[in-house]
Amino acid sequence: MQKLPFDTVLIANRGEIAVRIIKTLRKLGLRSAIVYHEVDAATLAVSMADTAIAIEGSSPIAAYLDAEQIIASARRANVGALHPGYGFLSESPEFARAVSNACIAFVGPTPESIELMGDKIRARKFVQQAGFLVAPSAVEEDDPETFASRARDLGLPLLVKPSAGGGGKGIQIVRDLGALDDAIVQARREGLRYFGDGRLYVERCFEKPRHIEVQVLGDFFGNVVHLFERECSVQRRFQKIIEETPSPALSANLQKRVCEMAVGIARSANYRNAGTVEFIFDGHEFHFLEMNTRLQVEHPVTEMVTGIDLVAEQLHVAAGYELTLSQSDIVSNGHAIEARLYAEAPEREYAPTTGKILMLEYPEYEGVRIDSGIVQGQKISTAFDPMLAKIVVHSATRREAALKAAHVMRQLVLLGCETNADFLARLLMDDTFLSGQIHTGYLDENPHLAVGQCGSDLPAILAAAALLTKPVRDAADNVPKLHAELGKWRN
Amino acid sequence: MRHSFALKAESYELWLSPGQRDYRLHLGGEVIAPVAFSHHLGGSGILEIANETVPVRFAIDGDVLHLHVRGRTHILRYRDRLSEFDLSEVLASHDAARAPMPGVVVAINVSRGDAVSRGATLMLVESMKLEFVVRAPRGGVVDRVHFEVGQSFEQGAALVTFSDEGR
Repeated sequence: MQKLPFDTVLIANRGEIAVRIIKTLRKLGLRSAIVYHEVDAATLAVSMADTAIAIEGSSPIAAYLDAEQIIASARRANVGALHPGYGFLSESPEFARAVSNACIAFVGPTPESIELMGDKIRARKFVQQAGFLVAPSAVEEDDPETFASRARDLGLPLLVKPSAGGGGKGIQIVRDLGALDDAIVQARREGLRYFGDGRLYVERCFEKPRHIEVQVLGDFFGNVVHLFERECSVQRRFQKIIEETPSPALSANLQKRVCEMAVGIARSANYRNAGTVEFIFDGHEFHFLEMNTRLQVEHPVTEMVTGIDLVAEQLHVAAGYELTLSQSDIVSNGHAIEARLYAEAPEREYAPTTGKILMLEYPEYEGVRIDSGIVQGQKISTAFDPMLAKIVVHSATRREAALKAAHVMRQLVLLGCETNADFLARLLMDDTFLSGQIHTGYLDENPHLAVGQCGSDLPAILAAAALLTKPVRDAADNVPKLHAELGKWRN
Repeated sequence: MRHSFALKAESYELWLSPGQRDYRLHLGGEVIAPVAFSHHLGGSGILEIANETVPVRFAIDGDVLHLHVRGRTHILRYRDRLSEFDLSEVLASHDAARAPMPGVVVAINVSRGDAVSRGATLMLVESMKLEFVVRAPRGGVVDRVHFEVGQSFEQGAALVTFSDEGR
């Protein structure tokens, strides 16, 4: 790869994604700078970065959303480029513009692309006009008076979504038309609160829909390539927990079709850098959902099967260079699965959990990549997203990858904070999952998967607990003395 | 003497008695023997149970035990008699609406002195991307609202407490 025109890159993010970006910077011989809020001072990313600059805010999240402070830090560290990671400011067109205005290369698409795709309604109209299929929907602002009736005409079930949405926030599912009005009120309230935007649209929900997305990469010379699809149908509360590539749902023809659609959409949007085009697949057709203008959480599965470092490609494009990859160079080998380790309790409706990491050990295996930003001793709070790490497994076949991932879930030791590790292991070994017959409603239809049983392990668990608890052992140890005393007395 | 451990929603009563060079575990009318635990460095050890050996990783945090046994993690709480009594007293009194999970206060619907009936909406709280309503566990008069909008709380925290007036 050509030498990059900058030697230091600022990471405007935290946790596992910051660690992952630093690894590529090191590989490329670049220096890393990071901004951090004091609650993250003892984290892995901050200790790995060459330069770390503290930022402040009324809350930790507010600090990572403070564009002005972050750009001032970038200037202080004299960086040539800024990588926003995912979340936080990664999809803010104003931020991308401000970074460019400060003469720092923004590692992401142009502000115009972020603006276009960030507004879900505008994006759908754009994609539809470009000649691609979008999911049947009713947009409120087309005619607010008739919104509810147009929504009803789509047929049940419906999804009510905030226009400025993302990450599943604010989405309401309506299975009964009587609940539509309440869902509209709730979605609007959450849209206003999370995104400062109360505009809504309603989408028809398909029977057993599958979430298929395509990784694309574009440059400033009009080249756009795809890096194949990912399937992310295993979701809870509209958020992905297991992602994989290739999709078990697609024949070679369907795979080709969806990848070409994604390239077509990215090309018509004049898209630069890495992005993901998301579709709903109803078993026959792909309907455009949205385009994410950033590196996604689940990008490692694509890297595993293609051998391409997406962050390195992003930096290369951000430097203004032409893509060195042509479509025919990009080949997918084997199968990769990612499972997201969360601080949450699946059996309590996936409620987030907190704690302090008292022990952390990841197993090491060939073909296993663990992207993690946590360290032993770290406190897990609800200040940020509950994702702790991503376990990514690459194998020859899907079944092998799933079973190996389940094995890794059982081998990893994370004590001090309840996680979903056991649930993920059960899920990865579930017959329905292994058969590939998954869809976005799979977890809701199989609530038993969320509940773990101690079963035959119970005596061992309680024996270990008893033997490790001093008062319990002491009580047993004192018995012989008592017996001895009794013996004397009897004599 | 019986000891009690809480694991998930269940409570288990057990005790150990001395064996020849190890222990016997008394658990719900059953005796499992021999049991022994040999410590290694840094939170790991080998459990011997009925002539089977099971590697165990563990971390102890006060009366909470975190165990990794046969590929799964379990969190147990050792309950000594006194604290168990205190806890049950507090829970039984229903004098507080408690947080079922850690989160942040989004909106508060009541203030000190308000008379509320059972099931009334007290607060809207958020845990990450999930919003939920905190309802009154009983009727009464609001004695104190413990958090302000925007403040975060831990699981089990008292969010709103009630006084006996109007009960």
